[in-house]
Amino acid sequence: MKTRPRIGLYALVVLSVVISFLPIVWLILTSLKTTAGIYAWPPQYWPTPITLANYIKIITDSPELLLYVLNSFIVGVGCTALTLSIGGLAGYALARLNMRRAALLMVVILAVSMFPPVSLLPSLFQNFLNLGLLNTYTGLIIAHTGLFLPFTVWMLASYFSTLPAEIEEAARMDGMGLMRIFLTIVIPLSWPGFVATGLIVFIFSWNEFPLALVLMTQNAMRTAPVGISLYPGEYAFPWETISTATVIAIVPILVLTAIFQKQIVGGLTAGSGK
Amino acid sequence: MTVLSSRLDQRRQAVAFGFVTPTLLVITLILVYPILQSILLSFGDSSIDGSEPWHFVGLKHYAELMADQRFWNALGVTLTFTGLSIPLELIFGVALALLMNEHFRGKGLARLAVLFPWALPTALNTLMWRWMYNTDYGLFNAVALQTGLAHRPIDWLGDATLAMLSMVVVSVWKTSSFMALIILAGLQSIPKELYEAGRMDGMTKWQEFRQITLPLLRGPILVALIVRSMDALRTFELPFNLTDGGPVTATESLSLYAYKVIFDFIEFNYGAAIVVAQFLVIFAMSLLYIFTLRNKD
Amino acid sequence: MKLKSLALATAAVLFAVPAFAEDLVLSIGARGYGPAVERNLERFAKANPDIKIEWNKVSDVPGETRKLYVTSLTAKSPTPDVYAVDVIWAGEFAKRGWLQPLNGLLPDTAIAAFNPSLVSAATVDGKVYALPLYADGIHFFYRSDLLQKYGLAVPKTWEEVVADSKVIADGEKNPQFYGFVSMWAKIEGLYMNWLAFANGNGGGMFDANGKLAVNQPANVKATQFMVDMLDKGVAPESILSMKPDDARTLFQQGRAAFLMVQDFVYAPLAAPDSPVAGKFDFTRVPYFDGHPDAKSTTMGGWFLGINPNSQHKEAAAKFLDFFTAYDQQLAAAVEDNRAPTIPAVYKDPTMAKAEVLAKFGADFDFGVVRPSAEAGSNYPKVSEIMQIEITNALHKQKTVEQALNDAQSQIEAVLAQ
Repeated sequence: MKTRPRIGLYALVVLSVVISFLPIVWLILTSLKTTAGIYAWPPQYWPTPITLANYIKIITDSPELLLYVLNSFIVGVGCTALTLSIGGLAGYALARLNMRRAALLMVVILAVSMFPPVSLLPSLFQNFLNLGLLNTYTGLIIAHTGLFLPFTVWMLASYFSTLPAEIEEAARMDGMGLMRIFLTIVIPLSWPGFVATGLIVFIFSWNEFPLALVLMTQNAMRTAPVGISLYPGEYAFPWETISTATVIAIVPILVLTAIFQKQIVGGLTAGSGK
Repeated sequence: MTVLSSRLDQRRQAVAFGFVTPTLLVITLILVYPILQSILLSFGDSSIDGSEPWHFVGLKHYAELMADQRFWNALGVTLTFTGLSIPLELIFGVALALLMNEHFRGKGLARLAVLFPWALPTALNTLMWRWMYNTDYGLFNAVALQTGLAHRPIDWLGDATLAMLSMVVVSVWKTSSFMALIILAGLQSIPKELYEAGRMDGMTKWQEFRQITLPLLRGPILVALIVRSMDALRTFELPFNLTDGGPVTATESLSLYAYKVIFDFIEFNYGAAIVVAQFLVIFAMSLLYIFTLRNKD
Repeated sequence: MKLKSLALATAAVLFAVPAFAEDLVLSIGARGYGPAVERNLERFAKANPDIKIEWNKVSDVPGETRKLYVTSLTAKSPTPDVYAVDVIWAGEFAKRGWLQPLNGLLPDTAIAAFNPSLVSAATVDGKVYALPLYADGIHFFYRSDLLQKYGLAVPKTWEEVVADSKVIADGEKNPQFYGFVSMWAKIEGLYMNWLAFANGNGGGMFDANGKLAVNQPANVKATQFMVDMLDKGVAPESILSMKPDDARTLFQQGRAAFLMVQDFVYAPLAAPDSPVAGKFDFTRVPYFDGHPDAKSTTMGGWFLGINPNSQHKEAAAKFLDFFTAYDQQLAAAVEDNRAPTIPAVYKDPTMAKAEVLAKFGADFDFGVVRPSAEAGSNYPKVSEIMQIEITNALHKQKTVEQALNDAQSQIEAVLAQ
């Protein structure tokens, strides 16, 4: 009586896992094939022979890929830290401090994030050129922060509004300043929310393409997605190198998601339960 | 007492304002200022080589827009795409969330796997799908032909209807997991006692879902709907990498058209007008959602 | 460890700027011109120790790089100093003031050495704005083994291509084998393809008097021929979503008799592990019966130009001159199979080593550039209109006449602006 639904459950789980993973598995299998294997017809479902040649070739021919991954990491971490700190403060003020016109500000912040980003590139580049922020980590970190702040403020604000008010009240009675309350009470209490939001922002930043392309023109400053876009030729699309480079570039994302996946769900739980 | 509290309140307002200031500064630099420039661009004209400065032309570009068939086509494509993919994402998102909310072994790994499509860069994702969809040497047709499911190759991306559906499939595949994430969070905050009470009343699983789960999920669902609709209405990388907006312009979204006007034709003014119009559509849709939310509460 | 040393090396590159040296930023892809870029940079550094070049690799996919250029050039950024432009951008960028006229910066004799047809693509109002670095063009690749198997000669005309395709396809009896594949997706390559057909029938964008004549009878006939190729099954329906590499893949899998794309496919097709290695050859783009002299090889290629906002124009000109000069072109031809743009290079004795390239060069004798210089800053729109209307005809959304009439009137309107 009880086993039948369990089998059905597992079947569904396996099915959704397979569907979710299919393209990435195909990508990994591709990276392990020879060039002839990749373009064989009918397709090789399993690489024969399995080869690491593509990985060796990428690491020896274009070691700068590792530098691109490092750049993405620096920008991702910087952007996540900056977004969480200033977005956290803003979210706290908007959600908890009975700020005047808080609702209006929240709507404005949401509205500006609705604007299609494709049209912002030229004027953003111009500003960054004038400010001397092109080809700097600071520049791209600020740009990504601006892009993902609205989401962060909304996420964290909804999170803060679920915290019990009594603890802060008590701390205020004790004469604690608002900044200290935020740092010593609010942050620890809402840590899972910070982790969840931070991971999402990190992934956004890691995958962001147009701004990274335009604001970082020097080789040494490129991020991973832009670096990968250098592999295709004008007409040719060499799947052997592109699949390999992609697998290398998503390993950090995979590891981070694996480490923090519990927090993502946990953090969002509290966040949406208002 | 009132003087004291109002002074306290004034101090608190000042601190709150201080807390919000860095965010406002960054958003102004990165978003507000370029947006204002775009809006300004859409009401003006400047010469090709930049020798003549911007001058005001009023609603000229918006009038052109109203007569531009390609704009209306792109708007139609965008709305069709949004209208098809969002409900599907919602259904799959809810289903996935319910599934991942069950207790089974290997839950952590399964959640990671289901989350993963959303964490991959859209552009590469899409190129991967384009390859799998390829009529002549793609994975799907290979399997279909070898298993006898199809007798001749299916032209996934070459037929107007199929191309749109193919695009919807990729979108649903990629973002159902994001929907599921937000909804799963909502599910976990539903008190268990409600279900126990339901069981006492002899509710079936379906009744439980309809009468307990779904009503309590309305909040998270609406948040997910707004976020996803905003993205779907601005979809760019998907048609850009999957179909190039084709066949002809059957899958050309508003963002793709704006991109062409801005970076291929280099008509910044007209491009800005398209983008502003697109923004108004997105804003209207969000208001609609928010209005729906308010109405029912 | 490796990462750390890499980061250190980068830091060294970034901060070790020698005093009084002129720093130029060069923007060009790493794949298109291949190893020649690095080699020429080293040679230039030896000859000019006072000029330091920083190579900013950009994507070879034109769309990506264009986004970067449009953004930085509208902002009047002083870098890149020297940058590579697709042949079809040269006229447009010149009109927008994004390229520095080279007359005066470079000796006229240097400019005169280049293939005049290519230089014409970068000439606006009598001034030359960029110099061709390397050329490519579309060629007609065929399965020599299959032609032999069925006792067929290499087809010269489109009529023969259709007839031969039928013989081979009927003989192969494989539903997944096609006669002719090419890039007929709605991309620039489709327009290149159409120009090859139209020019091969004595047509083209303009009539004998140089007036725009998209809908001239020769073009209508050529376009109808393309539609008929689909109807007769010579070309598969899926050709309408093929890009160059899709068509190449099919041909390489041994599933097509004829392939018409750019020269880049030669290397992968001839690679040792390619199923068609040694079984294929190529020739000039076919023409229609009665037009053996038609210029039907639509040309592409990349040019080098100077940013007018560069603060080192003299040094940039020196670099440009060096990079495009005879010796460098010869080396790129012999070592990397990149087609020279100085005709004299083809006659150099060392070119005997580059047999394949010599054959490409022979096809380029029938070369024709796209009307990008004439259309100037309107070229992207002209090309887009053509791509859409040709696609409309191929998808039978419109009759051929109607599609070309519509293209004619739309392009007239664009050019009149």
